[in-house]
Amino acid sequence: EDALLPAPQNISILSTNMKHFLTWSPVIVQGETVRYAVEFQGEYEREYANESWIPICECSLITATVCNITEDISATVAYNLRVRADVGTRRSEWGTLKGFFNRITTSLTPPLMKVIADGYHLLVELEDMGPAFQFCVVYWKKGQESRMQQKVVKEVSSVVHLDTMEAGSDYCVKAQTYVEAINRSSSFSQTQCVRAQGGRSMWL
Amino acid sequence: TAGNKIFHLGPCRVSMSTAEIRSGFTAIKANIQARDPIRTLSILSHPHSLHKVKSSDRCCITHHLFNFYVDKVFKHCKTEDSYVNRKISSIANSFLSVRRKLGQCHEQNKCMCGQESAEKFKQILANYEGLNVTSAAMKSLGELDILLDWME
Repeated sequence: EDALLPAPQNISILSTNMKHFLTWSPVIVQGETVRYAVEFQGEYEREYANESWIPICECSLITATVCNITEDISATVAYNLRVRADVGTRRSEWGTLKGFFNRITTSLTPPLMKVIADGYHLLVELEDMGPAFQFCVVYWKKGQESRMQQKVVKEVSSVVHLDTMEAGSDYCVKAQTYVEAINRSSSFSQTQCVRAQGGRSMWL
Repeated sequence: TAGNKIFHLGPCRVSMSTAEIRSGFTAIKANIQARDPIRTLSILSHPHSLHKVKSSDRCCITHHLFNFYVDKVFKHCKTEDSYVNRKISSIANSFLSVRRKLGQCHEQNKCMCGQESAEKFKQILANYEGLNVTSAAMKSLGELDILLDWME
């Protein structure tokens, strides 16, 4: 009888900025192509649907050892995840993620931003990080750190106008993201400063 | 943003990502509604269950409805279509997350149930139990946008 395939090991989640990936170590079978299948189980399935599991068809019979599960982790509840290996007719047991995964633990990185001095106008361009993200932009006139102002940007469309600057003055900006679905914020980005017209606009 | 909204249901304040629920539902709405042959009946709107609800009763009815969907509806909506099943799971888990918040309001006596909400919910249950369970569950799921519209 064919030897049973070992179950995939080292199953873990990489989750950054609300993008979630399941990864695992490859199952090695000399001269054979190993394929994998992934399933998930939300808290609802555990408590109300007989602990049923749901296959992720984009990660069915794949040879890669990573699966994008973002689309299915779409509620702030605890999820279980598991992976199985197949070679021809041989099939492994399920390897299950140790512990649950809840998107509330995603790591949030500061947003990429570009500060622009357009004449007397202080503008900022923010990275579009997806519909789950808002931005808190803090800006101030250099030397007046006690009078920082804040603008919440809910939808990233194009350039955001922050303020009208005094001629020749330096203005500084920093930003952080906020994800309402998990009620968490990133740390602030590096501060960027620019100089208003009436002096050459340059990165300081 | 992902459309997280703060819902003021009387004294109860609940943050909910209706956009995530609505996008999950929109993705399968046509498929689900195609499985509902009985066009002349409604679970949520007959005779006018969700209309003219006093604001003091909104929290209680919302709590009842989220319990109704979690306890009765979703489990009878399994289909042969894996994509549809995944979206139903997404909606069900979002409902579970919201129901927990509504439950907290209930425990803090911010979600009081009056006579009217009890009557209205009784009507919804009567509509539901008037059909066989799978038809009733599919019809209820197909009416999710009625619930979301009413909440918003």
